[in-house]
Amino acid sequence: MKVNKTLTAVLALLMLATLLAACGSNKENASNASGAPSESAAGSKAPVKEVTLKFWSSLDPSSDQGKMIQQKVKEFDNSHDNIKIDLQVITYDVLHDKLVAAINAGDAPDLSWGLSEWFGEFNKLDALADLTSYVDGWAEKDKIYSNVLEALTVDGKVKALPNYLGIRALLYHENILKDAGISAAPKTWDELLGIAQTVKEKTGKEAFGIAGAGVRSPQELIMYLAQNDVVLAEKQSDGKYKNTWQDNPDQLSKAAEVFQFYQDLLDKKAIKTDARTWGWEEEDQNFVLGQYAMVVNGTWIEGRSSENPEGMKDVKIAAPMYKKTPATFMEIAPLFVYKSSHPAETWEFASFLLGADYQNAVNPSNAPRSDVVNEGWGKEFMELASQGVVFPAVSLGGITKVMEDSLARVMLKKEKPEDVAKWLSQAINDSLSKTGELSGS
Amino acid sequence: MLMSRRKQRFFKLLTYAVLLGFSVYCLLPFLWMFVTSIKPTDQIRTLNPSFWVDKPTWKHFDNVLNGSAFLTFFKNSLFVALATTVASLIISIFAGYALSRYVRFKGVKLFSVAMLLSQMIPGVLLLIPLYLVMKNLSLINTYASLILAYTTFTVPLCTFMMKSFFDTIAYEMEESAEIDGCSRIGIIFRILLPVSLPSLVATSLFAFLNAWNEFMFGFVFINDEAHRTLTPGISLFKGLYQTDWGSMMAASVLSVLPIVIIFVFLQRFLIEGMTAGSVKG
Amino acid sequence: MLTLREKKIRRLAIGFIVPALLFFLLLNAFPLVQVLWDSFQFKNLLNNALSGFSGLSNYAEVVKNEYFGTALKNTVVWTVLSVAGEYALGIVSAIALNQQIKGRTFFRGIIIIPWVVPIVIAGMTWTWMLTPDYGILNLWMVKLGILDEPYYWLGELNTALLTVVFVNIWRSFPFFTISLLAALQSVSKDILEAAAIDGAGVRRRFWHIVLPQLKTVSLTMIFIHIIWTAINFDFIWVMTEGGPLHSSETLPIMIYRYAMQEYNFGNASALASMMLGFMISGFILYYYFSVRKNRG
Repeated sequence: MKVNKTLTAVLALLMLATLLAACGSNKENASNASGAPSESAAGSKAPVKEVTLKFWSSLDPSSDQGKMIQQKVKEFDNSHDNIKIDLQVITYDVLHDKLVAAINAGDAPDLSWGLSEWFGEFNKLDALADLTSYVDGWAEKDKIYSNVLEALTVDGKVKALPNYLGIRALLYHENILKDAGISAAPKTWDELLGIAQTVKEKTGKEAFGIAGAGVRSPQELIMYLAQNDVVLAEKQSDGKYKNTWQDNPDQLSKAAEVFQFYQDLLDKKAIKTDARTWGWEEEDQNFVLGQYAMVVNGTWIEGRSSENPEGMKDVKIAAPMYKKTPATFMEIAPLFVYKSSHPAETWEFASFLLGADYQNAVNPSNAPRSDVVNEGWGKEFMELASQGVVFPAVSLGGITKVMEDSLARVMLKKEKPEDVAKWLSQAINDSLSKTGELSGS
Repeated sequence: MLMSRRKQRFFKLLTYAVLLGFSVYCLLPFLWMFVTSIKPTDQIRTLNPSFWVDKPTWKHFDNVLNGSAFLTFFKNSLFVALATTVASLIISIFAGYALSRYVRFKGVKLFSVAMLLSQMIPGVLLLIPLYLVMKNLSLINTYASLILAYTTFTVPLCTFMMKSFFDTIAYEMEESAEIDGCSRIGIIFRILLPVSLPSLVATSLFAFLNAWNEFMFGFVFINDEAHRTLTPGISLFKGLYQTDWGSMMAASVLSVLPIVIIFVFLQRFLIEGMTAGSVKG
Repeated sequence: MLTLREKKIRRLAIGFIVPALLFFLLLNAFPLVQVLWDSFQFKNLLNNALSGFSGLSNYAEVVKNEYFGTALKNTVVWTVLSVAGEYALGIVSAIALNQQIKGRTFFRGIIIIPWVVPIVIAGMTWTWMLTPDYGILNLWMVKLGILDEPYYWLGELNTALLTVVFVNIWRSFPFFTISLLAALQSVSKDILEAAAIDGAGVRRRFWHIVLPQLKTVSLTMIFIHIIWTAINFDFIWVMTEGGPLHSSETLPIMIYRYAMQEYNFGNASALASMMLGFMISGFILYYYFSVRKNRG
């Protein structure tokens, strides 16, 4: 009993102490917070007024690239007395939700990284600054790939800047193809389907890999659609968008051919059965491990050499195979610039991030600038920049989901390609209609 | 004795078998994390995954401790989680007592229903409203925002837990203390709490771990590294296209072990509370 | 009329719940009301063309969603299996840990490990271990002859949800263990001994003395866990994102998609309100039947 009493007393004391400590540190925080403005007030006595720019980046702090970004941003900060950069690292997993919460509360940062899929939505949320006049007055404007800049332009206004590019190319394990007696990577879908059986029989491995689920699956689907001359949604005369497959039997059958291609890949065992529901991690990892021969993928795979030097040493690059028109998916990771009270300073920093110096240091193999192309992987990927297709600048949240579902219908449920094409066409228009972006509505 | 010798031996063996099974189930992923954290990078993701490590390395631990802000995250998490635990424990002891002893009042009953309701809103829908509240209180990017939010999340369950533990304690004990002239708060602290020490430990463990593990709000409310907590901090090792598995697992191991060790020390209170309890005192 | 003493006690009772009430009002009441309010409003952040009172159209839209039925069914399966599994494992492990055996401290330490590992990390680790080509569990199962060839547990329509349930049980049962262990301490040794002397066997003592003592704690834990499991979505999101083809999608995942991917807070709130309604009616039904049973 005695022991218990003392123990309780100690516990109670501990609680109180911690609670007080908590209160104390809150006060400390409060005084810190109130201390900050007074500092800047002191700063305003000096000739230049310092502006703090909030910059949310998804850099990887443990990678060399991440360290380089932090260093470059610091250099900029040090060389500009009037601008202070508040760089925060936030992973892509949560960046989207954090941005949405902050934008809603009117508390958005000045600049942030982002994914191309968010562009249409953030534009619709009216969160992005109009950068047209700054970009037009910029001496290095013509160094940015023109189709990249165009993809970030809505109704003639530049609403975001390119941060880096993720162009996709065909990567292949040369040794697996050699073992199957094949000397060159296939150029068309039919060639790929034609060699699938040989590769499987001679090496025991599948010829190809896809991502049937997750964020990457719509990116691959839009590429295959483009390779067969079909687009997801077209801009109509009223400035809004529409999927026109159902109005046009030719397009519908071409879209169905794409879904047929997915089914053929499965039926001819050109891909593993599991690939029906692979996400990008499974797709990348199995390729890096040499579990199958070819994949359409990006430059980041090069970074896997450190993890799997053995599996990566025979990887070669070619243009993606196609059916009608050579095309590849070009991911334009945007640098979002939000509406703020100090646009000039923000642009000064943004143009630094787009500059040759920064891009050379940070994105040697995937820069949005035509004058920054390194030897090796980057060069072969950048040659494909002109055939890159991008998502339309509409709200994509609902659309990418139905695209993913359409693949599951084709591959898991084995529904007929024509039916799926029709279903997807309708689902895309439904989604456009919900966000008020459907033409004719 | 409660049972025969033979039966006793049988139950002892059975107990060991059961515990062994549970240990494997609980430990397997953790061991995998640990093994991953000491593997050289080129052995981590291979076609022949194995618990055997060829040339163990501490390089990932070195990277976590010296190459990242892990220690800051750890310190922040510890502070936030401790503050949350203390706050929710104090609040829920009183609320739980009221719920256990005074349900006859309408207001108390209504309150318990409201708390139950509040548990039914999915976290996603709290994200934006809570962000607004925190912004209006100028609490974005402070520890206080996290402590407030986590306390709110944990108080209802802690209250219900305390209530159900108080329910098992006979009211007569209090009455005799009341006659001795103890105040109500005195009764709670001097009579009830010592008896319900195991429950206090269980409840505070719950509050602590809830705050320790929370991810979403830890990321959304906090903007800078100096205030960031552990779980969001660890997830920074997950890059856009590539995950630094070695470092991520090393960081996870480092965040799990101290808590388990603290618990091992605490757990004896899980047993001692009642057996030395006040029925005899 | 209340007596003076009753009044005093009532004041005290209110004083005791005020701190908790403050937290509730500050951070919970507002979102709760907002959810109910928004569910009757047109509120799509991407589409300002429609606004104002919407009647039941949000509810209609949600119910008409092709996967609403699947998600509802999945939520029930997910909740019931998870909580049942957690409780079963929790009580078995609590009783085992309550025995006087060597190494008890050690086992108690081990058993809380799953609960301490951050959910994101645990989800990623399990996903990796369960993967067909480079996951250790698949490799072992093939070696031991349990499987003929590696199986994609998280990628097949019929196993994805069950696999996540398995991992969720792993994660949450220690919480039951600890709480039940704490409650087991309050089972009086004297009564047990007396019963043993009266000739009650081990099983009889367990069912008639130990279990009834655990009833309040068990019910509280089960109630709260039903709510939590039903609205929880972390593991599902980390491991399958509701796929493949919505086969592991629960209502909270749908709510998340409505809110954060389609920015349709009207629909999201309507679905959340419906979930609220389902759970409340479930509890009312339970209450009604348990009261009737007690009377009968």
